[in-house]
Amino acid sequence: MSLLSSQVEVIPMSESGSDIEMQENSPVQSGTGRTGANLDKDDVVLSVTDLEKSFGALVATDQATFDVERGTITGLIGPNGAGKSTLFNLISGFYQPDAGSVTLNGNDITGTVPYKIVNNGLIRTFQTPRKLEGMTVREAMLVGPQNQPGESFHKLFTSPSTVAESERQNLAAVERILEEFEIDHLATQPATDISGGQMKLVELARAMLADPDILLLDEPVAGVNPTLANKLKDQIRRLNEQGTTFLLIEHDMNFIMSLADPIIVLDQGSVLTEGTPDEVRSDDRVADAYLGGGGG
Amino acid sequence: MTKAEQAVAGIVAAVAIALLLAMLGGVLSPTYFLFLFGLGGMYALMSLGLNAQWGFTGLINFSVAAFFGLGAYGAAIMTASNSPLAGGFNPIFGLALALALAAVVAVAIGIPTLRLRADYLAIATLGLAEVIRMVILNEGDYTAGSQGLRGIPSFFEGWPILSAFPETMPGLEIEIIPGQAVVLGTSFWRQLLNVSLMLAFLGTAFFVLRRAHRAPWGRVLRTIRSDEDLAKALGKNTYWYKMQAFVLGSLIMALAGVFYAHLNLFVNPGDLDPITTFYVWVAVMLGGAGSNRGALLGGFVVVAIREGPRFVGDVPVFALDPGPLRLLLIGLLIVLVMRFRPQGVLPPQRELIWPTAIDDDNRTTPKMGVREAKTDGEMQGSTDVSTEQSGGGDSDE
Repeated sequence: MSLLSSQVEVIPMSESGSDIEMQENSPVQSGTGRTGANLDKDDVVLSVTDLEKSFGALVATDQATFDVERGTITGLIGPNGAGKSTLFNLISGFYQPDAGSVTLNGNDITGTVPYKIVNNGLIRTFQTPRKLEGMTVREAMLVGPQNQPGESFHKLFTSPSTVAESERQNLAAVERILEEFEIDHLATQPATDISGGQMKLVELARAMLADPDILLLDEPVAGVNPTLANKLKDQIRRLNEQGTTFLLIEHDMNFIMSLADPIIVLDQGSVLTEGTPDEVRSDDRVADAYLGGGGG
Repeated sequence: MTKAEQAVAGIVAAVAIALLLAMLGGVLSPTYFLFLFGLGGMYALMSLGLNAQWGFTGLINFSVAAFFGLGAYGAAIMTASNSPLAGGFNPIFGLALALALAAVVAVAIGIPTLRLRADYLAIATLGLAEVIRMVILNEGDYTAGSQGLRGIPSFFEGWPILSAFPETMPGLEIEIIPGQAVVLGTSFWRQLLNVSLMLAFLGTAFFVLRRAHRAPWGRVLRTIRSDEDLAKALGKNTYWYKMQAFVLGSLIMALAGVFYAHLNLFVNPGDLDPITTFYVWVAVMLGGAGSNRGALLGGFVVVAIREGPRFVGDVPVFALDPGPLRLLLIGLLIVLVMRFRPQGVLPPQRELIWPTAIDDDNRTTPKMGVREAKTDGEMQGSTDVSTEQSGGGDSDE
């Protein structure tokens, strides 16, 4: 099975990632299911195998199988209704899969509750930014850090000094990360009063406070102006260089093609193909899927 | 201080002066005033409990009266002279039983409902309140049924010094206006003891909630109230936090019940009537969801509305019976709050960060309360009418 060689370009693009290193041209086809994903990766942080989920008669996820290699920015694209967000919800524990398994850092996390998955090192964001009413940006950020002693009720009374110490450290971490994201001027604004784009930045910054191994971003630049989108891109690259693995859904092809490598293409609930941005762009099946060909 | 805080402080001061004058003038008996003050504190306690559940966490509990009743009956069963089970114990055991009962029932109702959407807890607690009232009414072998439990001692019965305090205190006569002597006798001192018990309960509850609210623990609860999915995605075990908040609030409501049993010295199933629940809801809405000070204020205002009409009835200009007037005032209060100040009179205004982790100069006090923007999601349905206007209306206060 080889890639068709048509050069039709359907997906809009600006620059092709010149600094992106090319991978082998033909991804290894797996024996499990009918995945187009490359399963021959060295250091896998997140592994999804034969994941299935239906809502009534609608099959949202159909034997989805792919791996995410540690240290990469992996893109997840696909036409509307391909099952991208469902997949995120299945991985992060918000939905229970009907079949299949999810492995994170070598631990099976299939069907466990979201907070345990977070403890295993995976954080996700939401497509529409969630607002925290009644909090300042700084307070909303302080929800991010994990295992705060002050989150245990009895410690508030038995060891208030530990609570104060960790709160001071977390506050310092919040200030530092807000500066890195160049939004420190927003720290004491009500969290509901900032723009949608700034909210996306806050979400990303807060997710980083949880110190995840892998961060799942659901459309990080949807509805964000180009300037802020570039800022977000720089931040994601910077965090990636510092060691965080990213898996991101995005409809903005310029954005994802210039940021992610490899890119996994999802269609009708299963993985159609995986490859470098260039490979994906020149793949006819991807074009068909986007044009409503049904991947057939 | 914000404008609202100044206004509230002014009104509270004015009311305090008016009450003092009324007592000195012999219009209001100091003993009766203390009784009313005790009732006010009791409602404030229940409001604090509901504030921990709904104000902090967004849990809709329509069982306030039931947890209050469990507290009252827990205390009464251990101490009342006609208790079919275990009368005559020291009131401390009554307090322990009351808290244990409330905690067990809160956990039992929380286990099936707190994993579900907020609505299910609301429905379940609506039913629970009635179930508990019917059980107390019908299980006469344990609760003396509709007769009620009589002969409850004062809370300090059997304590050294305090149990004999009312009798040993000398009767005082204060005569400021000639011929209008105010007598402070045994009943006054007894009532003063009751009020100090209430203040001890109220102080403890307020201290605990205030600390919890400003801590990371409270921050998780507030995150759950705004968006439970977000809290889950950030690694918080939301079920466990909701359970803690629900049990904590229920325990505080039970404390109010314990106080009531030792104030009234008699409890009957009528004390569990759902009207109490709705008074407490009004108190929390008036004070502002999530505001501990607001809950205190709301509790006392509600008692003023409940007991005030008795006095108004004496004035011939008002041809209204106290009962209807009470309902009218409550209705009017709800409408006015929802129309002009849906966020409550004293909503939380400041950032809630652990106090010693941040210097006060660095803490922001936004001109506009950080909560001001919140209009939707607050009591779905009932505020819908006010939602449209509240955005612009008074947001610059």
